[in-house]
Amino acid sequence: METTELLDGKDITVERAGEEDRTLLFKNHLCAVCGLCESICPVSAIETNPTGAMVRTEQDASKIDIDENKCVLCGMCSSICPFQALDLQIDGESIKEIAGYPHIIKSADIDDDECINCKACETACPQDAITITRELPSRAELITGEIDIDKDTCISCGMCEEMCPVDAIELDHQMPTSDNPVVATDINVDTDKCVHCGICKRICPVDAITQVCRICPYGEYEIAEPEITGTSYIDPELCVNCTWCQEICPVDAAKVTKPFEGELNIDSETCQGCETCVMVCPCNVLSFPKSTKAGVNAEKLHKDERFCIYCGACGKSCPVNAIEVKRTKINYTPTKSKAWKKAFESLEN
Amino acid sequence: MPKHIVSGLKYIAAVNLRKQGQTQREIAEALDMDRSTVSHYLNGRNLSWNSIEVAEMVTNFCPKDFLVLTHALLNDTERTRTIIQTCTDSKFKGAIRNSCIGCGLCVDTCLMKAIVLNDLKAHINCEWCCGCLICVEMCPTNSIEIKEVVD
Repeated sequence: METTELLDGKDITVERAGEEDRTLLFKNHLCAVCGLCESICPVSAIETNPTGAMVRTEQDASKIDIDENKCVLCGMCSSICPFQALDLQIDGESIKEIAGYPHIIKSADIDDDECINCKACETACPQDAITITRELPSRAELITGEIDIDKDTCISCGMCEEMCPVDAIELDHQMPTSDNPVVATDINVDTDKCVHCGICKRICPVDAITQVCRICPYGEYEIAEPEITGTSYIDPELCVNCTWCQEICPVDAAKVTKPFEGELNIDSETCQGCETCVMVCPCNVLSFPKSTKAGVNAEKLHKDERFCIYCGACGKSCPVNAIEVKRTKINYTPTKSKAWKKAFESLEN
Repeated sequence: MPKHIVSGLKYIAAVNLRKQGQTQREIAEALDMDRSTVSHYLNGRNLSWNSIEVAEMVTNFCPKDFLVLTHALLNDTERTRTIIQTCTDSKFKGAIRNSCIGCGLCVDTCLMKAIVLNDLKAHINCEWCCGCLICVEMCPTNSIEIKEVVD
């Protein structure tokens, strides 16, 4: 019975085979260096590396170190990690799935029945965890009209082709030959592309184009309500439950439960504006506002606590201790183990 | 020599199991021996008295040495458990403190297989505990207490 450590790039695997096969997996790219694993570890086996250096420069090292001579594979780090960066598996099953082990309560869901596929959440998500796949109707379904080119009148000047904003007109250009002395052999309109704007008709120097848009004279009754379909996907590994999607959604389709409650305090006097916290924050809570006009100082460091999950990564990274993250409550599933309860409670204040 | 000590240990275990009322067939199965060998042993044959003396000395070692040596000689967990249990007079009682984190290190190290995990906490089956204290030494949170039961 021996505990072994395996490094794969910056990812770490710690294993112990015995009555049960225990494996602790660390995925470096998911780690936000919040230090909760380091704080909860009952045997001080985990050490986080200096955050500022980790985010500002290219580092060969992992964001955390696990001492395999100390690690007993209890799984507390895996249970508290809000970023899915640590996972303890017993006989191949994650303890997040095993009853009896406490796990933090957090969720993020998008109700596809409510979602209008605007993609605001996809753009706002600080972890690029959201993918909205949407199908829009073809343009031809949203417009009605007629267009016709009198090929006998057309002089193949190509002005309509050059002006058409949707590239719906195409001439078959050619160099004239003695047996076929024309500059184009044909001209065609792709009616699926045409939006009946009328530019071609107006630019045509020989009035070869007749075009009518039927929307104005006849109203919109001819056009059916467009059908927009789509599906949403939140990558459970990348999602940090920051509520950006919930806050930005115009139709309240996204619902998020944060893992922790607390408060975030910034001491602007002490803050030196080094930006490390802004780079570290996995939830995009912090930003440097731009000055609105000359001579006016902008707020030094801006926070929007709606998005904060109180992981503590910013406070840990701050070189001058200007940020205080108070974690008042950890929401976790019940456990019978007093030691585990105590460990979770030790992270609240 | 190691084989002789094993024979001696099996002899003592066989005698004790017989005293407990087990049949020769059951003893043979428990100690992984031929029935005829069990019969010979119980009649004091095919075995040097010297081996028995050495084996008796081994059973009087401190529980940890007795267990580790026996396990090394037999290289078989089940037989080791049987011999240790039948040849140990002392009884032990184990208690797990609430500081237990359920890491399972004791479960993996216990050669007597006397510990199981339940609800993130270790539980000691006192019937099998031989008092070796290996689990106490290994426990990262100092959560195990083993005491000898004195009548």
